[in-house]
Amino acid sequence: MVVVDVRRTPSVRVADIFLQIRPGKDFEVITALRALIKGRRINAESLAETGLTLEQLQDLVDRMKRARFGAIFFGMGVTMTRGKYMNASALLTLGVEMTQFTRFVAMPLRGHGNVTGADAVTTWMTAYPFGIDFSRGYPRYNPGEFTAVDLLVRGDVDAVMVLAADPGATMPGPAIDHLKRVPTIVLDPKITHTSRLARVHITTAPTGICAPGTVYRMDEVPFQLRPALQSPYPTDEQVIKRIQAMINARLSSRRSPVAADALQMRGTRD
Amino acid sequence: MSESAAKTESTILFGGSQEKGGANGSVRLRFKEVLQLPLEAEVLSPDVVGSLSRDEILKLPVLLGSRRFPLSDFFDVEGERSRCLELQGNLAKVKLIGHGMTAGSIVIHGNAGMHLGASMSGGSIIVHGNAADWLGAEMSGGAIHVHGNAGGQVGAAYRGSLKGMRGGAILIDGAAGIEVAMRMRRGLICIRGPVGDFAGLQMRGGTLFLCGKAGIRTGAWMSRGTIIAMEPLKLLPTFIYACTYEPDFVRLLLRQLRDSGMPDLGPKWNYRVQRYSGDTSGLGKGEILVCAPAALQ
Repeated sequence: MVVVDVRRTPSVRVADIFLQIRPGKDFEVITALRALIKGRRINAESLAETGLTLEQLQDLVDRMKRARFGAIFFGMGVTMTRGKYMNASALLTLGVEMTQFTRFVAMPLRGHGNVTGADAVTTWMTAYPFGIDFSRGYPRYNPGEFTAVDLLVRGDVDAVMVLAADPGATMPGPAIDHLKRVPTIVLDPKITHTSRLARVHITTAPTGICAPGTVYRMDEVPFQLRPALQSPYPTDEQVIKRIQAMINARLSSRRSPVAADALQMRGTRD
Repeated sequence: MSESAAKTESTILFGGSQEKGGANGSVRLRFKEVLQLPLEAEVLSPDVVGSLSRDEILKLPVLLGSRRFPLSDFFDVEGERSRCLELQGNLAKVKLIGHGMTAGSIVIHGNAGMHLGASMSGGSIIVHGNAADWLGAEMSGGAIHVHGNAGGQVGAAYRGSLKGMRGGAILIDGAAGIEVAMRMRRGLICIRGPVGDFAGLQMRGGTLFLCGKAGIRTGAWMSRGTIIAMEPLKLLPTFIYACTYEPDFVRLLLRQLRDSGMPDLGPKWNYRVQRYSGDTSGLGKGEILVCAPAALQ
């Protein structure tokens, strides 16, 4: 096992090799690896700024090629630092390119709240994993334009519904300020940071414990969960369906052309 | 021609012909309010407005959230049946202006929102203010000149698309954001101010002229194309020094830029550039030409 990190983590104790890279140099190292596995030249002087040497990388490449089944796991140290999705893209590309030599996979180690499940479901429903806009009645995908944090920072939304997440604890200041400005509705089994700044908090039954459902393992294998306990609270699904029914009833009672148009949009979305 | 005249006329921008108003003058649209939510207004294009009467223009649909509204809710309109559009006001939240336009001109006195001139194939756009992200994304012809700053993904390819800008020119007097010229295939982008990270990301062709400082990872994964940097650059380990030389085309390019109304491009340099080829993690036929002698290690 090879561990690559900016500091000695507990994982290093069980690793065969520890490569300590300088912070913010992930993309540089991965891109250099992509060149080395193809036998291309790289600039050793520029590589030195990453904290690793050409010999170390060449050794790593040789080990990767010798493996019969290699796996690259990565976490938020890669995906949430400067470069963000391009760092992840680089690792996934490296994984794909390694399959020319041996069996190899690259997989993100996802966070809490079944992020993998959200990605998997929105991908088979809309073809896109996240950052999806439905305002035209069909899905459009554009991270940076339609992703939650960017919409909030620019103040491009006038209402927010938060489900299975706690943006009030993790998002940057301007995004949190906008959550406070607009009506924010939180559905969560417990009071979160976001609930405290939201206009409305609706307590729901914890999925997987009190509410049945499907969760996706990190390798996107779905599991059916049966509730182990009873809860006095409704499930997320029940709450959303009730809200939706009430919106539809109110829109159809208004019978204005605008409402009819909005309803039609809604119909194509379902 | 005096300098102010050059700014308003902006002559011919790299083949993006600047049409005069002609007998019909221009269609002038004044933005009535300050928007909180983004407005999607791809109808603000010479191809749509060009043949319409004033009443028809006022009824054109725009999208706020998921609802359609007539253009008259947001704009006062003067003039009709002209392929010269003049927009006035802070349109920073108005998206898709000039989307897919093929001819005519748009002059914006104020800021413009995302996707300005995206997928355009002809005509010209001049912004006396700032532009936002995705300026001229996937455009294939025509010209855009932004006198202020622009956002990220200028002339880029949309997510999942293999080719960005395929032709035409984008000139920016100010700064620009990240991923400028992402997967650009052909054409010219010239940015006078600083740019963010990943300029020329996965570039496939064309020319990116960076007059100011660039963020990190410039030219990452480029397979073909040319990036010219007038300031010293931090290069990825996958770029290899090739030679120092004086390419003639840089001299010609600078002259053409000056003739197109681009402000004087700063300190004179002797046209000697250091050529680095890369990105060796891929095809490696791209080049980064670094002008500043300080980059000579």
